Amino acid sequence: MNKSQPNLAPDLTRPTRTPAFEKRLARRYRKERNFKLMGQGAIVFSVAVLIFLLGNMLVNGIGGFQRAELAVPVTFAESGITGDDVSLRAPSAVQTLELQGMPEVVNMFAEQALGEEGAAQLSDQAWRDVAAALTEEPSLLASNEPKTFHLPATSDLASGLAGEGSPEMQALAQQLASEGKLAENWDLNFLARSDATSPQAVGIWGALKGSILTMLVTLVLAFPIGMLAALYLEEYAPRNRWTDLIEVSINNLAAVPSIIFGLLGLAVFLAIFPNLRSAPLIGGMTLALMTMPVIVISGRNAIKAVPPSIRDGALAVGASPVQVVFHHVLPLALPGMLTGTIIGMARALGETAPLLLIGMRAFVATPPTDFTSPATVLPVQIFLWSDEIDRGFVERTSAAIVVLLLFLLLMNSLAIYLRNKFEKSW
Amino acid sequence: MTRIHDTIQDDKTAKMKARDVSVYYGSKKAIDEVSIDISPDYVTAFIGPSGCGKSTFLRCFNRMNDTISVARVTGSIELEGENILDDTMDVVQLRARVGMVFQKPNPFPKSIYENIAYGPKIHGLAEKKTELDAVVEKSLTRAGLWEEVKDRLEDSGTALSGGQQQRLCIARAIAVDPEVILMDEPASALDPIATAKIEELIDELSGRYAIVIVTHSMQQAARVSQRTAFFHLGKMVEYGPTSDIFTNPIEERTKDYITGRYG
Repeated sequence: MNKSQPNLAPDLTRPTRTPAFEKRLARRYRKERNFKLMGQGAIVFSVAVLIFLLGNMLVNGIGGFQRAELAVPVTFAESGITGDDVSLRAPSAVQTLELQGMPEVVNMFAEQALGEEGAAQLSDQAWRDVAAALTEEPSLLASNEPKTFHLPATSDLASGLAGEGSPEMQALAQQLASEGKLAENWDLNFLARSDATSPQAVGIWGALKGSILTMLVTLVLAFPIGMLAALYLEEYAPRNRWTDLIEVSINNLAAVPSIIFGLLGLAVFLAIFPNLRSAPLIGGMTLALMTMPVIVISGRNAIKAVPPSIRDGALAVGASPVQVVFHHVLPLALPGMLTGTIIGMARALGETAPLLLIGMRAFVATPPTDFTSPATVLPVQIFLWSDEIDRGFVERTSAAIVVLLLFLLLMNSLAIYLRNKFEKSW
Repeated sequence: MTRIHDTIQDDKTAKMKARDVSVYYGSKKAIDEVSIDISPDYVTAFIGPSGCGKSTFLRCFNRMNDTISVARVTGSIELEGENILDDTMDVVQLRARVGMVFQKPNPFPKSIYENIAYGPKIHGLAEKKTELDAVVEKSLTRAGLWEEVKDRLEDSGTALSGGQQQRLCIARAIAVDPEVILMDEPASALDPIATAKIEELIDELSGRYAIVIVTHSMQQAARVSQRTAFFHLGKMVEYGPTSDIFTNPIEERTKDYITGRYG
């Protein structure tokens, strides 16, 4: 039949074969290409900024893990200090050594090795390092061999070594460095010490421990309460004006500036527990208030994402509503809930403003021993150090930021691990 | 008016008796005064065009409509003389007695074993592990799945093929030994071979359980059921022995639907 015979000549009268159509087609492809390029540009830009930021932090931070140290050889047999295994291992050993004139002894050896000018630039607390070495190894006391200690220099000398500060100090630093008596050494004890007045003696452990304790309180309070609230609102609460009101309030609460939560903590928690100013307990409670709405919102979304067919299946074999929730909905929603929790926790970890208001900006030179002892947290510590005039704090601040970022990374990795562990497909 | 073929009036073996059941979604009437008997002696099929309310009606028999907050059911449905629509009815117990299989296979994202054992476990039907093992084997065997999965009971139920998943859901429903099984288009998401297996299974299970099946496929209704109810616009238009409905329908609408003139 004529109708079914293929017509091989191009039929240019069809609307999809006209030149105008092809021109439109080319324009559509061009638009797509442009959009793709713009997207790629945005990604490249943000990655570049991130790399610059992290690189900058890391380069500065490495300096923060080092400090200028003076080499001081000490011969204990000539020091006149006495003691035995028992007294040197006693808890009061450092005080005993101080009473025996340990600071002066260290200073004397420093003068011998570095000259009067050099010895003057030994940090006030340097003798404590020597004392600590003695309490660890009492047999050193009998030794006739000089033992070289690398003791922290003053921050003036440290900045001299970095090519800053007064010209005299720079000259002295250069001279000592050329004699091999002054050097930038790795200072991993930075991770074990706490805040101090001199950048040469500061450490991050106090703030890190404060952050860990505060986060624990936040997690223990916000996660179960947030999760139960999400489950109740999603699974049990009737849909009426009251639950609408609650939903709106929670959404608003998640958007409230964090400093308001600090005011709330100040007005409520510190009014109830006036003795717990700057305690991780109060900090954790304040941050829990801030984190809870985030957990509730993400938890509700995770619960909504559980397919209704699973619920129906469980109900149809006769599971009671609470069994449906705990046997089926919760296990499936848990990965999403954990993700939300970790986002909230990460935000809480980086929070400074509310903690300033409840007094966690105090100078705390010893790490907190429990949830009620005075503490500071990493971001507040960074804020405080960045405010210091001493040049030595710049690098220490960067080092603290590196520690904060690593802690954050650790928390996120844990969350991703947990999420993958609980994740199930359906 | 519903025409009922006079051969089946006053069914004495009826397990469930629905009388004047109406379902409202808000102010919209989805089911209008439907009465029907369900018996283990035969498989009952609900047929009708999409949106005619047959699934809604089916979900009244184990009160799954409770999960829809705007749905309201009036009339009465008796299960062995007890009105299940009463507030005093224990829904959990009702659903253990009246099982359900859904349109889309919905195994729990747990192991095959856990899928079957879940019902008996929550109802405390098996005390010991060996008893539970026996229940799982018996249910899977009845659902014709045992031979295919006995070596991989710890695999996830969602890893099975669609047809196997649906038979797993049937096995899950019969694991608690219900009296009635409701099936809501159980084969509509499956290929013809899997469908044939499900239909065979329905045939084997009938007699032991009162089975109600909602289906879009008239051939399927003709193959598996002995009683058919035709629904249209929320009303049950005609009810009777399947052979009568298909060969000698009384109502014009039934005839039109069966001959494919609409729906």
